[in-house]
Amino acid sequence: MSKRGEEIIRELDEQAAEKEEQFFTHIANRLNRPRIIKTPAHPFRGAPDFWLAYELSEEERIGLFMANWTSMGGHTQRFPDLSSLSTYIEDMAQTMKAKYMIRFDHPLLNKMKMEQKLPDIEMTVWNKHAEEELLVKAAGADIGIAVVEYAIAHTGTVVAVSGAEQGRSVSLLPTVFIAILQAHDVKTKMGEVMKDLTRRFGNQLPAGVHFISGPSRSADIENDLTIGVHGPGIVHALILDESSP
Amino acid sequence: MSTTFNPTTTIKDRAHISLNDEFLRNAVKYTTEKLRTSKKLASDELGNWEEWRERARQIRLHTIAHLDYYLSEFVKNARAAGVHVHFATTAQEAVHITMRIAEAKGAKSVVKSKSMVSEELHINHRLEEIGVEAIETDLGEYIIQLAGETPSHIIIPAIHKNKQQVAELFSEEAGEVLPPETPILAGFARAKLREKFLEADIGMTGCNFAIAETGSMVLFSNEGNARMVSTVPKTQITYMGMERIIPSLDDLEVMATMLPRSATGQKLTVYMSAITGPRRQEDSDGPEEMHIIILDNGRSSQLGDPEFQEVLNCIRCGACLNACPVYRHVGGHTYGWVYSGPIGAVLTPRLNQDMEKWGEVSYASSLCGACHEACPVKIPLHDMLVYIRRQKVEEGYTPASERMAFKGFKYIMSSHRRFKRIVNLGKTGQKIIARDGAITSKIGPLKGWTEHRYAPALADESFRDTWDNLSAELHVNGNKMAPDVLKRLQEAKRRREEKHHE
Repeated sequence: MSKRGEEIIRELDEQAAEKEEQFFTHIANRLNRPRIIKTPAHPFRGAPDFWLAYELSEEERIGLFMANWTSMGGHTQRFPDLSSLSTYIEDMAQTMKAKYMIRFDHPLLNKMKMEQKLPDIEMTVWNKHAEEELLVKAAGADIGIAVVEYAIAHTGTVVAVSGAEQGRSVSLLPTVFIAILQAHDVKTKMGEVMKDLTRRFGNQLPAGVHFISGPSRSADIENDLTIGVHGPGIVHALILDESSP
Repeated sequence: MSTTFNPTTTIKDRAHISLNDEFLRNAVKYTTEKLRTSKKLASDELGNWEEWRERARQIRLHTIAHLDYYLSEFVKNARAAGVHVHFATTAQEAVHITMRIAEAKGAKSVVKSKSMVSEELHINHRLEEIGVEAIETDLGEYIIQLAGETPSHIIIPAIHKNKQQVAELFSEEAGEVLPPETPILAGFARAKLREKFLEADIGMTGCNFAIAETGSMVLFSNEGNARMVSTVPKTQITYMGMERIIPSLDDLEVMATMLPRSATGQKLTVYMSAITGPRRQEDSDGPEEMHIIILDNGRSSQLGDPEFQEVLNCIRCGACLNACPVYRHVGGHTYGWVYSGPIGAVLTPRLNQDMEKWGEVSYASSLCGACHEACPVKIPLHDMLVYIRRQKVEEGYTPASERMAFKGFKYIMSSHRRFKRIVNLGKTGQKIIARDGAITSKIGPLKGWTEHRYAPALADESFRDTWDNLSAELHVNGNKMAPDVLKRLQEAKRRREEKHHE
């Protein structure tokens, strides 16, 4: 950013700092009471009790997740071990004649050694150095592969989190998106994911937490369902039963 | 079709245009019916819908009642994550802040995902004035932007456009003739907008929810354009109505349960993104700089007003539009401003704080209460519409003829003798125009009604005439009023008398 640009942003920040308290005080005045600065008791926080008690067994969770994911037009399959999962992806890449792929830098994916088995495919591994280039690579990729942190059975959702080895673009820009998830990460409901995110990150969440439920879709032209408008139109959720070491 | 946000015509004229547009009427009917049915299926499937609604309402009530606390908490945490937070009391201020950021970034083009707040600002026009291209990337918004129109439904903005019209708009943009086939049209938009995403300097988004505890802003989308806008450009600007706050991630679960189901009947939108600050040091994508502009623009005037505070609970799902018998006939443009349907009929006069210009929008309702019933946070919209009508009357913006008519009405109704005399006069007078118990004449003071239907004629024997007999009959049969009804009536009578003595 230019020097002048930096100056403008600094001015705006100063204006905001000046205005801030006035903005909050105005709200308190309108509400006819002094400013509240201590955390108020929130007796209605989160889902109702009956919902908190709702819990499925692991098999039920996986079954429900797969049913919901499929109903939205996604593909899903279970694999007993890493090698069968790896073979499945390799076959898919060959069948669709993929040329470019991009993936997370994740131990599970590294162990698959796809690069060796698919020598004709240019595979980009996400990293923290290549910035601009990675975005362009993701936009040109036929397949993006991510290891997702959680899945939610009740809504048929996978949850991808951003980080040094895990770009947001991987689940967004390629034509096909493959989400790999481990069976024990499938939760019954969203609240469990929220709790675990809070446990892991406190109030400092990763910059991007993305809940993904099926392929990109739109009904904006005469209510016709269109798949793959901006995001991937083909999505796979591949479930690995074997626990990773 | 009226397509500006500041129409010079009356709501009656606008309704007239919509009612004569057959495609529009069919499209609106079909879409609203589809969305309504889907919502019903989704809420049945979820189960305990009323408990969920009550919880969602309580969370919104609690947040708004403590808005200064939660908003300041959000601001603190968003800043800690590296966000530049700005405060705008008016739409003009928000525009000014945006222009300054665009200037600082030397921006040439902006890609936008859907934001109703940005519609309040007319930001696209303002950016174009300074030579910055602003492109809507939601498919529906893109269509109406090319047509130079405004959204006619909060969830399906191009509800009023048919395939042929879309094909014509896209063909012009493509420089070649595109057939009116959805996959081809959508494919064109995807390719065209991909380019725009990759070359844009700024991404602009709205904000469905902001989470106080984490400083995150949350976006719901189906197409993925909101993700593109918040992933690809170097700078992100997010517009946020000051009431979009919820306290925690736990509360987001409740909102995520209610919003998609109420809007389209989905269990969850395809994408729900919680964005917390710009990209981290080690991240290789996501915006490098992030601005959140918090907008008041008339919202704070609802706070502390017992009649209207609850309108801030709205989560912008559009369920009230789909349920409204008026919206279902006239569509969104009739309402004249950014928000349509019952929520629009309340927000338009209230946020603009202009009863003279916008008070009439509150009459675009039959007061049936279907909006309240459909609302996932139980906002009593039909009551608010009555309050707005009252305010309009109190501020003296009703036509002189209406005021005269009500003066006359008051004069007649304040004496039972006068009332009786007038009714008798009417019974005689209507003989020239009433046939078989109905008035069908399409001229005269009843024209607005009789143009499309019969008005019942005054009965030969009025209710008052028969009351003595009716009352006697009731008592003979020993029918007693239910004690709770009696109590309520007595209470109402007492209140009325009290008010009389004030």
